[in-house]
This record gives sequence, structure tokens and C-alpha cells, in this order.
Amino acid sequence: MRLTHAALLLLLAASCARSKPETTVPQPEAAAPEPRTPQSAPTPAEPAAPRPAPVRAPAPAARAGTPAQPAAAKVSPPVAEAPAPASSLDLNALMDRLKATKAIGFFTKITLKNQVDDLLDQFRAYHQGKAKVTMTELRRSYELMMMKVLSLLQDKDQALASAIVSSREVIWGVLADPKKFMTLQG
Amino acid sequence: MNAPTIALVQSLVVAAWLAVPPQAQDDEALKKDLTAVIALHGMPCGQVVDVKVLAESDFAATCKDGNRYRVYLNAAGRVVVEPQK
Repeated sequence: MRLTHAALLLLLAASCARSKPETTVPQPEAAAPEPRTPQSAPTPAEPAAPRPAPVRAPAPAARAGTPAQPAAAKVSPPVAEAPAPASSLDLNALMDRLKATKAIGFFTKITLKNQVDDLLDQFRAYHQGKAKVTMTELRRSYELMMMKVLSLLQDKDQALASAIVSSREVIWGVLADPKKFMTLQG
Repeated sequence: MNAPTIALVQSLVVAAWLAVPPQAQDDEALKKDLTAVIALHGMPCGQVVDVKVLAESDFAATCKDGNRYRVYLNAAGRVVVEPQK
């Protein structure tokens, strides 16, 4: 009888011992965000690529094909590929990545979106000749907005931060050019 | 106390121990989020040290420097920061 009792105790102890690893299941989940690192992995290729090619021309047209470009930039960095990374500007892709990043909290993202929308309204008014602000002031506001975004990103999502930094001038090119800006709005 | 009871108690203790940190993490994440929101609005705060949930997407934040703000999402989808006295 005692033997069976002892055996039962051992079984229970064993089950308790097992239950701990089971309860640590959340940890693998915590490791689940690691797929983020693969996400961020492709991006370091971006900053390296756009720099040699500050070409703005293909920006609006090439937007659709952007997702495949980081891979292309990885494979062949030579001169022939130079125009492609420049078109990697793709504001929509950057916005999607900003939406997806966990480096910025929910309400911070909404606040940023509010401020970006306000800035875009200013650009729209400027291009329509309705604004009192000058291009210099718009540039200052744009730089400030970039600083805010980068401050929030640089510690926790460096890949996205550097992607934005490398697209900085290209984005400005789109915002400052009335025709490109209209395509952005459309 | 018999063995099943001990096992049950142990399980409950482990479950409770595992349940608390995510809540605390959520609180910390919310504090950081509201700290960034207040800073983006250019208001003095330093760091949010306490948050009370007033309603959905509506918070009362207390800052380290003593300032208090109501931070909420209005009907137009804008985050509003209102200083409180």
C-alpha cells in the first residue's frame, strides 16, 4: 500500500515537474516575435543600397514592385541595380512597416499619423497655392517629423529607422514636387 | 495535506506567477506609449508614472514631474492631450 502511495506521489511530482515546462509555453511565444528579426533582416540591405543611388525619377512608377526589391538589392549590388533601390522609397511600404512595428505604441502611432496627415495637408495647401507657409518651413516641419519618428524607432527597430533615414531625401523629393505629390495623393 | 492538493496548490501558484508579469508589462508599455504621446504633443511630463483607465481609449496619466493629463482618442480619430489641474 505504501509502495503504491509512494508511486502515486512520484507520479504527481513528475506531473508537477512537467507542468512547469508546459507553463513556460509563453516563452516560446515571447520568442515568436523573433520572426520580426527576419523582417528586419532584409532591411539592412536597403540602407546600403539607396545611398549610391539617390535617383528620384522612377519613384511613382516603381512603387508597385517594391517588395521584391530588397532581395534584388541583396543579390546584385552593381550599378545596373542602382535605380531600383531608389524606388524602394515606397511610402506605402514604409507606412505598413510603421504600422506593424512593435517599437511604437498604439496611441503613439495614431498621434504620429495625425501629425503626418497635418503635414500632408500643409503640403497639399502649398501645392494648391493656398498655404501661407514657405517651402523652407515645410522642410523644417518635415525634418522635425522625421526626427520624431526616428527617435521613437532607433532603439527598438533600427532596421526600419535606417530604412526611413535612407529614404528621407527621396520622400522629400515626392512631397516637394507637385506632380509626384499628386500621384501620392491619388 | 495530500499530494493532489499539494500539486493543485503548486499549479495555482505557478499559474498566478505566470499571469502577473504580462499585466505588468502591459502597464509599462501603456505608460511608455502615453509618455511618447504627451511628448509628441510638446507637453512637459518627463515620464508617465501612473495611468488610470477612464474609459476605452481614455486615460488619466500622471507624470513624474507632477503634471497630469487626460489622453484620449476623439471621435475624429485624433489623440488629444488635455492638461488637468
